Amino acid sequence: MSTSRTRSLVVASVMLLTAALPARAVELGAVIDAFQRAFFSSGLHEEEQIGYAAAATILGATHPVDNPEVQRYVNRVGLWIALQSERPDLHWQFAVVDSEDIDAFAAPGGYVFITRGLLLRLNSESELAGVLGHEISHVVLKHHLKALQAAARTSLVGQVASYKLAQNGQNSAVFDQASTAARNLYSKGLDKDDEFEADRAGVILAARAGYDPYGLLAVLQTLENVDPNSNRMQLLLATHPSPEARIEALSKITGSLDEYGGNGEGNERFLEMVGKLAPPAPVAATIPAAASHSPPAH
Amino acid sequence: MRWGSYLLLLTLLALGAMAAGRPDAYTVSATPLTTGPFTDAAPVSTLAAHTSVSVLLRKGGWYQVSLDSGQSGWLRMTALKFTSVAGEARNSVLVGLLGLFESGRSGANGTTSSTGVRGLNTGDIAHAVPDTAAVDGLKSWVATPDEARQYSAALPLRPYTVSYLDADGKPGKP
Repeated sequence: MSTSRTRSLVVASVMLLTAALPARAVELGAVIDAFQRAFFSSGLHEEEQIGYAAAATILGATHPVDNPEVQRYVNRVGLWIALQSERPDLHWQFAVVDSEDIDAFAAPGGYVFITRGLLLRLNSESELAGVLGHEISHVVLKHHLKALQAAARTSLVGQVASYKLAQNGQNSAVFDQASTAARNLYSKGLDKDDEFEADRAGVILAARAGYDPYGLLAVLQTLENVDPNSNRMQLLLATHPSPEARIEALSKITGSLDEYGGNGEGNERFLEMVGKLAPPAPVAATIPAAASHSPPAH
Repeated sequence: MRWGSYLLLLTLLALGAMAAGRPDAYTVSATPLTTGPFTDAAPVSTLAAHTSVSVLLRKGGWYQVSLDSGQSGWLRMTALKFTSVAGEARNSVLVGLLGLFESGRSGANGTTSSTGVRGLNTGDIAHAVPDTAAVDGLKSWVATPDEARQYSAALPLRPYTVSYLDADGKPGKP
């Protein structure tokens, strides 16, 4: 290679570098680099840190139901579905939370929560699988992780916290930043497209796990009939598309899943386990009669 | 308080019985009524939009229904909407039974006693003080993969290979 050609290449390279990375930008880049390592990498450790803060924020508003048997039941069903996903090795942790409201939540790293109010409105394990499949899909597709990271990136408070972390290496800065973003995200909700995507993926995860994949559709038809002005629906409707819109979107894909329609229902196991959230006599004796009046029967 | 609860229970049961004995859903558009819960089942007839039906059973993506005319058959579940009154009764009977009595006394099996309706609204989340101890406590209920596999096999369930479907129903990404 001739000297003049080498020189012109060097000059061109320096010009490019100067244009792209002026001196201040190089300094800024180093700081951003430190921020990214702490908060915005796609590493599992960072996801678990953010998920822990998000889960703690949710459990700051409601707490797990104190019934180990039901909690273990939901963990077994949930993990079986999660094992069919692209992220079977996460530390999946499921819990029923003690709220009469109708909702379910997911947090990065593998946390999934369902309210007692929603659980009691379900009729079978396949319906539970539909709900858990939807939430597991949020984790697998990193919906909350991406939203929390984006919020943290654009938040001035977050940047200051990031800077402090870069200086001091304190994990508490990560926690504070993530929980601040979580308060906002979980009260406003994800992008609606993320919800539709989680519906589609959740149905498939339920099918992969051997359940009747129409459970989620049945749940949405149940929710369609709960008074939208009810306080119990307030958070769900503030953070999700309407049940009607979700049913309409799902109807475009569910027609092709007929071959799995006769698969596992698990209504007896479900009612036996979830019935443990109720006190015994005299109510227990009345449940079968009431349940028989509660179409659709399975 | 307790007598009020029993009265409400009786009302709920009556509502449930009424819902089971009359048309509780209607077709959202003209839709075929078939002899079985599958696409190539023989057609019975075509129901016009807004035809009232009683739902008897769900099987996968299909509802078995009966009509006032005495006709019965199967419809795709997305072809139906439940009427709101029947839907309310349908959805609240079990909830009423389970939730109602817990609000009046301590729950069994270590269930947390409720002293009233617990709300969880956007404000509760927006002002939540993080509870790390509650997150740490979740570990005690976690299942191992082997437990999850054995529990699923007991239903019985078995895994299938199924592709994600996109918004248009094409295989690929969800």
